[in-house]
Amino acid sequence: MSLEKEFSTDGKQLTIFIEEKFDFSKVQDFRIAYNDQTKKFTSVVINLQKTEYMDSSALGMLLNMHRSLSDQVTSFKIVKCRPQVLKILQIARFDKKFEIL
Amino acid sequence: MRILVVDDDALNRFLLVHMLEQQGYVDCYEAENGFEALTLAKRIKPDLVLLDIVMPVMDGYEVAPLLKALAGDVYLPIIFISAIEDEEALARCLEVGGDDFVTKPFDKIILAAKIRAHARTRSLSKKTIEQNQQLSFYRNSVEREHKIVEHIFANALKVQPELRDIIDFVMQPAGSFNGDMFLCHTSPSGGFYFLFGDFTGHGLAAAIGALPVAKAFQTMSNKGLSISEMTETLNATLLELLPDEMFFAAILVEINSSGKQIDVWNGGMPDMILQNEGGHIVKKFSSKHMALGILEPNEFECEIDRFDAQYGDRLIGFSDGVVEVCDLAGKMLTDAGIESWLLADPQSDVHTLLNKIDVYEGGSERKDDITLVIYTCQELKPFSHVQLASQLPFKIELCLDHHLIKAQDPIAELIRLLTSQLGLYGIHSALFTVISELYNNAIDHGVLDLDSKLKATNEGFFQYFATRQEKLDNLASGTVNILVQYLPQDNVLVIQISDSGKGFDPASLKKTCEHDDSFGRGLPMLSELCQSIEHSNGGSTVKVVFKI
Repeated sequence: MSLEKEFSTDGKQLTIFIEEKFDFSKVQDFRIAYNDQTKKFTSVVINLQKTEYMDSSALGMLLNMHRSLSDQVTSFKIVKCRPQVLKILQIARFDKKFEIL
Repeated sequence: MRILVVDDDALNRFLLVHMLEQQGYVDCYEAENGFEALTLAKRIKPDLVLLDIVMPVMDGYEVAPLLKALAGDVYLPIIFISAIEDEEALARCLEVGGDDFVTKPFDKIILAAKIRAHARTRSLSKKTIEQNQQLSFYRNSVEREHKIVEHIFANALKVQPELRDIIDFVMQPAGSFNGDMFLCHTSPSGGFYFLFGDFTGHGLAAAIGALPVAKAFQTMSNKGLSISEMTETLNATLLELLPDEMFFAAILVEINSSGKQIDVWNGGMPDMILQNEGGHIVKKFSSKHMALGILEPNEFECEIDRFDAQYGDRLIGFSDGVVEVCDLAGKMLTDAGIESWLLADPQSDVHTLLNKIDVYEGGSERKDDITLVIYTCQELKPFSHVQLASQLPFKIELCLDHHLIKAQDPIAELIRLLTSQLGLYGIHSALFTVISELYNNAIDHGVLDLDSKLKATNEGFFQYFATRQEKLDNLASGTVNILVQYLPQDNVLVIQISDSGKGFDPASLKKTCEHDDSFGRGLPMLSELCQSIEHSNGGSTVKVVFKI
């Protein structure tokens, strides 16, 4: 099942909503979600509001997205994470690459 | 119809009883004087008394009030029958408690008509008393039931003592039951949740929905779920339970362990206000959703607002009932009215606000339940968690052959088993990260013999997962064993995973996360989440100790 996503009204910001589990099984869905050529977005928001479970391949997927979009996108944000998930992002020092809100 | 005839003259009694029998009143008793009448009346409980005035021992004037008293609340008609014709004597008949009089010689038709009329009044009186009894019976049983329900509510809506000092709230129901509700509960991750809302209507019918909400909220808080997940569950539950015209406007808030990160879901409630110490309103959490119990699960939106506040900021919430409070002229208080109070007196607590509401109302009748909640952002002390974790040590061993490895993900089920059965809520996320890391390493690098370095490039990254799937689909042999030991004394889980792969050299592993590669992040992360990591068996067995 594809991931839910939405563009801001000016089309500059893409928000991707991750589900309860963010692991390697989402590799394709996640890539499809951010490889959207219909709009020239310059900002990506990953909404982890629903995410309870995350493994290290999810971290890899986020970094891979960062790398493949860095020519086009200037702002990467991870928002609304659960405390437990935030801890994992902190351990992985993700604040260096993403703005974690 | 039982009639008591009281007269000292036997002939008179005979004439009266005879006349009564002619009229169909066959259940008649006779007494010779007042005293005898009283004794008899105690036994036979007459429906009507025909009473002579002048008698020996006890006359009619004396016995009449005594007979009346004996009859209690039910109307006992007393008709005096007398030869005395002076007006004063007849008037006295009525004064002592008689209801009517007939003079001798009596007119049969008139007397019979009077008896019928008084009998009607008596039966009306009996009916009234019966109905009164029924009414008070029902009132008592309703009262008793209300008491039971109140007791249940008091227990279900109890606030944890450690939260009482942190969150300030006040509720005033308009009736004996509250259609508003307020709940708060600690979260296993060190923060806490609160919920307040307003069921359509008020009174018992509105309050009844509070029970399932309270129960679900408590369970979900213990598990440390996100408020978006909570709202989804509550919505689905209420949609199923409540009649169509009833729903639940609510605000759910989660304060994380820092005490100042605020997550809010507001469905159909007035704005919740965040006011800083200087008195400025820095943020309003407006309603962005429909109330709970209206939308089908597929239409439901659980998007939350997140805000990072400062210590000292005050989060102020209130129910509809507050906004809609009216003064004597019928003018509503409105959101703006409350805001002006807060701006004028930024330190006002819930009781100050409640007093202002009372003054504003000026004694006019309140129509809706009222709830006020204030949380002042502060550093949270760790809540003493009454963890109901099992005290029995145990082991779970999973032996997965290549069939089971190919079939879907055993980890989610293992985590569910460990956390829900043992009461180890709150560690589910970290435990998932740890076990899935170990398991995926065993599969990827052990059983499937894949090299992480493939993930170094963008295309390689996806190539890696494609190759993984392909190898997995064609897997003809291989095993992974998972052994989880729970040691309640040390409060740890010891997790050991072995695979049938050829192992690796643990010394070659990267030790930190301080790099940008989209691989090699797993083990450094494990070493932060676990007390210890130990490889053995030439790298094909790994054992970690996970502190609960």
